[in-house]
Amino acid sequence: MINRYRWYELVAIYAGIFVFLAFILAPFVEGFIVSLKPLSLLFSSPYKFWPENGSFAAYYTMWESVPGFARYIFNSFFISTIVTAIVLILVIPAAYAFARFNFRGSGLLLGAFLAVNMFSGAVLLIPLFRLMRSFGVLNTYLAMIMPGVAFLIPSAIWLLRTYMMRIPRELDEAAFVDGASHFYTLRRVILPIAMPGITVVAITTFIGAYAQQFIYALTFNSKTEYMPLPVGLFAYFGRQEVIWNELMAASFVGIAPAVVVIFLLQRYLVSGLTAGAVKQ
Amino acid sequence: MGQLNLNRVQKFYGTFEVLKGIELEVRNGEFVVFVGPSGCGKSTLLRMIAGLDGTSSGDILIDGKRVNDLPPVKRGIAMVFQSYALYPHMTVFENIAFPLRVEKMAEEKLKAKVEQAARILHLDQRLQQKPGMLSGGQRQRVAIGRAIVREPKIFLFDEPLSNLDAALRADMRIELAKLHRQLKATMIYVTHDQVEAMTMADRIVVLNAGEIAQTGAPLELYHKPANIFVAGFIGNPKMNFLPVTCKGASDEGVVVDYKGQTVVVPVRPHGGLVGRTLTLGVRPEHILLGAGDLTLTVTPTVIERLGAHTVAYAAISGEGENYCAMLPGTVAIRPEETVQTGIRAADCHLFDEAGIALERRVELTDIDMGLLNPAAA
Repeated sequence: MINRYRWYELVAIYAGIFVFLAFILAPFVEGFIVSLKPLSLLFSSPYKFWPENGSFAAYYTMWESVPGFARYIFNSFFISTIVTAIVLILVIPAAYAFARFNFRGSGLLLGAFLAVNMFSGAVLLIPLFRLMRSFGVLNTYLAMIMPGVAFLIPSAIWLLRTYMMRIPRELDEAAFVDGASHFYTLRRVILPIAMPGITVVAITTFIGAYAQQFIYALTFNSKTEYMPLPVGLFAYFGRQEVIWNELMAASFVGIAPAVVVIFLLQRYLVSGLTAGAVKQ
Repeated sequence: MGQLNLNRVQKFYGTFEVLKGIELEVRNGEFVVFVGPSGCGKSTLLRMIAGLDGTSSGDILIDGKRVNDLPPVKRGIAMVFQSYALYPHMTVFENIAFPLRVEKMAEEKLKAKVEQAARILHLDQRLQQKPGMLSGGQRQRVAIGRAIVREPKIFLFDEPLSNLDAALRADMRIELAKLHRQLKATMIYVTHDQVEAMTMADRIVVLNAGEIAQTGAPLELYHKPANIFVAGFIGNPKMNFLPVTCKGASDEGVVVDYKGQTVVVPVRPHGGLVGRTLTLGVRPEHILLGAGDLTLTVTPTVIERLGAHTVAYAAISGEGENYCAMLPGTVAIRPEETVQTGIRAADCHLFDEAGIALERRVELTDIDMGLLNPAAA
């Protein structure tokens, strides 16, 4: 291996990486440090970055301040999992159809999906609310799951379609010549080969659902027991004061399950995103 | 049985006519090779026989039954793809078993069939491996195995060897020829490689721009090409073409003039040739050093020594293409040194202005007539 960079170039590169990483990670670091400090110390002046007599006390007391917090984490996880499952069930055959068949209006439909993606859910809140009310699903899990699914399908289709288009068409043709139906081909041939792509879609959908549920939960649900994590965090905003240290601790505990899932799947994520980038 | 008939099969892509009314009969057990330059429609024709592409008009009959509207599996064909099209996540066993799994065949029978196919193709030791662990030749054998287990009436091969290196290709050619004799099945094979066509085919179908240029046994195409296209396509290096003027015709043959030299080419003349410009064709391997019935003095520009042969290229004044001669391996010629080359009249081909060959009166006593005409054998 030849040293392609001079020492000062390397220094500049690492400095650049450090600046960006610091920018991205600073809120997390600050949040974590806040979670370690006693509440009284948070507003002390002069402000001290490093906690004195810091402890993990907030991680214990947070469960007492907001007793339903475990339920909120479960709700978030539950809603995201269901959304991901429904999206995958709908998107896999759809992406296969878009990748393989020439049918009238396929380009138009794909364009429409992209256009839908440009509207954030927030723009459509009022019509959606009326829709939910007509269906009578307000204040149920369904009220948070349905819009989540609807808004995550378009990008999932685009992502998976691109992946499936990279699978050689001759595999389908070979299966067709051997007498396999389209669904048989999808199940036995395409699905296993597209597994990395499907994992990518599953992860992005899961993250999307985790991040997106806040606005639907706030609007379509008023029952405390169905609230997901982001809304649940509001419980730490008291009438008099905000329990900042517990709020930060709760945030970290709340995203932990999702982080664990993503860490387990990340090797698929990387290989999925780069598959086909090099000659195989 | 595996009799295939094509009746005026046409294919349009938009308004572009890819195949222009193909008429062809392939007899049961025959090994037929479709050969032609890129874009001549040979792969399209194969895909239409397979049922992967539809016909625009015309009928495809297998054993006398019209199959145009049947899916591939109901036609009794199996196809081997250029890229092998193996399922990367399945073992060799599962790859070969795939068509039988689709049929929902009983496990025991399936196992016996897959193992039999694996034996034929020497894949017995590889059954539990994934395609990624196999070499190119082995992968291609797996693809052939997947075709064999179905016991189709007709095998279709779409350039199956073009992804292999030269040595492996030669081996696979021999194996395919053996396989054909062993299975006695009808095989249709598409290639752009004329060596594959010449060595394996019972009959070659030369396609050019969507039409059949000529159909015949390999040596028939070599010795009696029907037109300039086939003459130029079959044979390597390519046949030399010289413009000549027709001076007369008799039972002896056609008298032509090339730059002041006259030569009587033993071909069957047709009327109205005298005074016309014809094309004289001669294969590089038929050019001799020294004088001949027609003598050309040329200056070689490039000489390729291949060991067994020496290929010499020379520019002839007034002609765009190189004049090419295939001479013995140790011949004493040098670039930029003028040599005399001779052509025997009996080796010549003659084509009229439309590019149609005048039939040669070649003595084919040294060629087995059974090879020339499989039907007569």
